[in-house]
Amino acid sequence: MSGRGQRDGGLDPRVEDSLSALGAASPGAPPIGDELARELEALRPVRTRAPRRQLAGVMSASLLYATGLIALAGLRRDLGEQPAALMVGFGLVWLLAFAAVTWLVVVPPRGAVIPRWRTAAGAALGAAVVLIASGLLLPHIAPSSTTYEPGARAFFAHAGCIRWGVAGAALPVVLAALAVRGAIPVGSRWAAAAVGAAGGALGGLVLHLHCPIAERLHVGLVHGGLVVIAAVVAALAARVGASRTSGRTR
Amino acid sequence: MAAESDLMARYCDGDASAFRELHARIAPRLVAYLARMCGDRATAEDLVQQTFLKVHRARSAYVRGADPVPWMFAIAHRTFLDEARRKQRSRVQVAREEGGVPEVPAEIDGTPADRRRDGPDPAMVRAALAALEELPPSQREALILTKLSGKSVAEAAVITGSTPGAVKLRAHRGYVALRKALSALGLGGAP
Repeated sequence: MSGRGQRDGGLDPRVEDSLSALGAASPGAPPIGDELARELEALRPVRTRAPRRQLAGVMSASLLYATGLIALAGLRRDLGEQPAALMVGFGLVWLLAFAAVTWLVVVPPRGAVIPRWRTAAGAALGAAVVLIASGLLLPHIAPSSTTYEPGARAFFAHAGCIRWGVAGAALPVVLAALAVRGAIPVGSRWAAAAVGAAGGALGGLVLHLHCPIAERLHVGLVHGGLVVIAAVVAALAARVGASRTSGRTR
Repeated sequence: MAAESDLMARYCDGDASAFRELHARIAPRLVAYLARMCGDRATAEDLVQQTFLKVHRARSAYVRGADPVPWMFAIAHRTFLDEARRKQRSRVQVAREEGGVPEVPAEIDGTPADRRRDGPDPAMVRAALAALEELPPSQREALILTKLSGKSVAEAAVITGSTPGAVKLRAHRGYVALRKALSALGLGGAP
């Protein structure tokens, strides 16, 4: 839709004129509200956001945290029996998902304030599909891997792994959420879902390096599914946070 | 004249006069946008006050050197959506205020006012407003942002939390629907 006077690219000169006239009807500035005027009287300098520095902080603190968790809980006992290429490949995919989504969530394009949250959420969705599919399609049960018959024991094992993975996702999610906390006024759902997914990717990696359960459903839906679980939890938390903030601003 | 990004930076550094200048520049544009979206100037002004309060409280989220205008429009857009949801409106309305349609200057040579070279035809403008009101909300907001508020497709996408492709498509569909509606009234070009 560019270029005046083109009839068939969709432009009609008289429609264009009417829209221009509507757009030109500019009202005056309304007065500054009383509440804002009071806050302006006590205006203080604030430290503005430095996205690249924040990204470096979130990434390094999260990776340190993940390393600490693995050091604390120990590596999976069947690690040496797993194909090296498979483990390295899984690890890289998880790390890449964490890094890429965190970057999209925290760093806006040059000259913009708002990061690419929808792109980040799309990337998170893609990462979730890849992680779940690779868990389902590329399992390797080694002699010392753990397997469960379906039943209560298996259920509790899955639930325990989800708790562990969520713990692994917690710090990255909190740090990234702090970095983009200004998101709330501009709609936080996509940002929160992407923040959650990024944390879930790191939590999934931590879990995958610790948990020796190698069944395809467990690796796919629990290890890989952490991306989805963390994204949903974060989006719900943001929704609650946004409604409270909206209530306070009104 | 200082750029909006410079004013925003000074405001974040604690300069209240920079905020006032920023408000004087951007508030009228936000009022115009929100008045078209919600159909009521008083509500639009209230929403702009809420928007600036949110901007003030979230100013630490500003990135120095960035253009603050799309960010402010995005906050205004979200504030409008929150308000619309709060009131459980089924659809947004386009402004039809008295005086909302700009007057067409009279020609000294007596040329009919509805000639294109003389400026917009008031009947056409009123019909455009009415047709705009009938558009689906997503097409209306895309058209208002790109055609009335002068935003680029990319800026409109940032403001509405959508993708540039989606905004372009919605604006195009809205434009086509608008043209058809005006043609049906015997105004505008061929459908």
